[in-house]
Amino acid sequence: MSHNIPDRVKRRVEDILSRYPRREAALLPVLSALQEERGFLSHSDEEWAADTLGIPPAKVREVVTFYSLFRRKPAGRHHLQVCTNVSCALNGADGLLSHLRKKLGIAEGETSADGRFSLSSVECLGHCDEAPCLMVNDEHYGRLDRRALDELLEKLE
Amino acid sequence: MVSLVINGQRISAAPGTTILEAAREAGIEIPHLCYHPAFPPVGTCRLCAVEIEGLPKLEPACSTNVKEGMVVRTESPRVVEARRNVLELLLAEHAMDCPICDKAGECRLQDTYQAYSLAPGVYAEDKTRRGKKIALGGGLLLDRERCVLCTRCVRFLESVTKTSELGVFERGDRSEIGCVEGRLVDNNYSGCLAEICPVGAITDSDFRFKTRAWFLEARETICPLCGRGCAVFLESHPGFPRVPGTAKAYRVRSRRDERVNGHWICNVGRYGYGYLEKSRCRELAGPLAKTLNLKAATDVVAPLAAELRALKYKGRQTRVAVVLSDWLTNEELFLAGAVFRRDLEIGRCHLVGPRDGSPDGMLLTAERSPNRAGAKALGFNTEETTLEALARDTDLLIVFGPFLQDRFRPADIASAWAGVKTKVLFTPRDEGLGAAFDLVVPTVWPAEKDGSFTNCQGLIRSFSPALAPPPSAVPEWRLLTALGRAVGLNPSFYIPFRSAGDVRRAMP
Repeated sequence: MSHNIPDRVKRRVEDILSRYPRREAALLPVLSALQEERGFLSHSDEEWAADTLGIPPAKVREVVTFYSLFRRKPAGRHHLQVCTNVSCALNGADGLLSHLRKKLGIAEGETSADGRFSLSSVECLGHCDEAPCLMVNDEHYGRLDRRALDELLEKLE
Repeated sequence: MVSLVINGQRISAAPGTTILEAAREAGIEIPHLCYHPAFPPVGTCRLCAVEIEGLPKLEPACSTNVKEGMVVRTESPRVVEARRNVLELLLAEHAMDCPICDKAGECRLQDTYQAYSLAPGVYAEDKTRRGKKIALGGGLLLDRERCVLCTRCVRFLESVTKTSELGVFERGDRSEIGCVEGRLVDNNYSGCLAEICPVGAITDSDFRFKTRAWFLEARETICPLCGRGCAVFLESHPGFPRVPGTAKAYRVRSRRDERVNGHWICNVGRYGYGYLEKSRCRELAGPLAKTLNLKAATDVVAPLAAELRALKYKGRQTRVAVVLSDWLTNEELFLAGAVFRRDLEIGRCHLVGPRDGSPDGMLLTAERSPNRAGAKALGFNTEETTLEALARDTDLLIVFGPFLQDRFRPADIASAWAGVKTKVLFTPRDEGLGAAFDLVVPTVWPAEKDGSFTNCQGLIRSFSPALAPPPSAVPEWRLLTALGRAVGLNPSFYIPFRSAGDVRRAMP
């Protein structure tokens, strides 16, 4: 299988590997580096990581599917990740999620037709003090209600 | 040794033993799904939780080691209640399609539910629909609605075959067993997965929907398909109504033998049982059977003995050639040696077995015969011979086994041996080989007889019949014993041999 991994990613991965005692231990940062390149992890990326780290492809797939921060399909420009864990659920995460579903016309795991938004529900983001919360790409937003959410969406081009 | 009490029974166990294993040693079975003696415990199913005096919570018996003075209860009301709760959760997302599930009757989940719960489900919500026939490769099918995520399959492929084709993908209630696209399960031990799956999640297309587990009779035998001789169960269906000799083999399962195969058997042994029925030689055949008016396999003994004796008296035993096989038991090879080599002084006794295959680096050996080591130990020449060498200056050719065809084409056999006056074949299988012979006598496969094999490690292990042969077929050791007596050169030697065990006791 040809993997088509750019040289700069390969160099980054070499650098990551130099900082871990065992190649296998570098799986998470290596996957992050690969995902940053294209915005998602393709089957070929997984195979390359497995090959490079010397672990079975099924083990890589386990990790990729376990963590919601890894995506297996391209995401929109703004990836909305709504926490649905305990604190957020108690503070109305379900309402936010259904509001987003209706407003964007997409379900969790989908991307809007114009490529602007993707929607996911995720587990705890570590901001229970600001529940309900969500992340847009790598930015965090808390204490949300429908109005605050609408204002936020307006700002995201 | 550590001394502890389980269910009021004082037992001692080696330090480092788990409660589950110590209890098992003492005959106390603790229900479990994920524990398997071949793997380190993972404690995922929670069914084996037991009460330990002095500890506030129940502890998993599979991953808690015994301690001096421990007092364990495995059937107390608290334990049984917890077990019921675990079952409720395990069954909350379980398909409960036992009536169409191959595992029914030998399912750990079903057995435990029947023993401890029998409670109806309590959830109003619909169960999640998941894939019910996902091809995993190797003829295995995965039913995700039945899977309890014990990960036995994943751990087997990780630690035994080291191929790791399967993994647990996704997380939480979406977790599922799966393989990566284009990387299906592909190894010579894949059949073990259906066997170790504690529920009906992984089923084997070789067995799927063929019969129900409770109709099968499992008998112990030894796999004859390579030199390892793995311990196996041969499972057969006796048929309705039971007619002797018509039981059909449905499945081969591994049988634990730490000296030889541990818990596993390879796919060659597991799926190779078709030879038992294929082209089965069921009746006496050949022109000589008609001429001499022979009815049963044992009728062959008298005329054959008379012919052999006559040749010996005329000093023409050099005009006899015998072909034996390394599928014969030690007892049979010993008897063949006594009759043909010692009594009749026939020099040409050759061994023809199946062709070698390639070994798999684990259990499967290159030789595809169960008793090559035994044949060597009894002094038989295992080197290859030619049809011409066997036919040269030969009046009588006696062949045991169907394996000439593995080495030679039937047409070549017929033409090379056209000049040999009398040719007799003793075989459980006749794939057109019989046409070259004057007499074909039906015999039995190793699974259908008493005897012993010496495996590639030099271990001698005996076995009893696991399947009834066709009514007209006779085991080779019986024919050879009768032949030895009828030849009459040393008759008293053969008189005590009423079973293969008698022969074994007379062997050096």
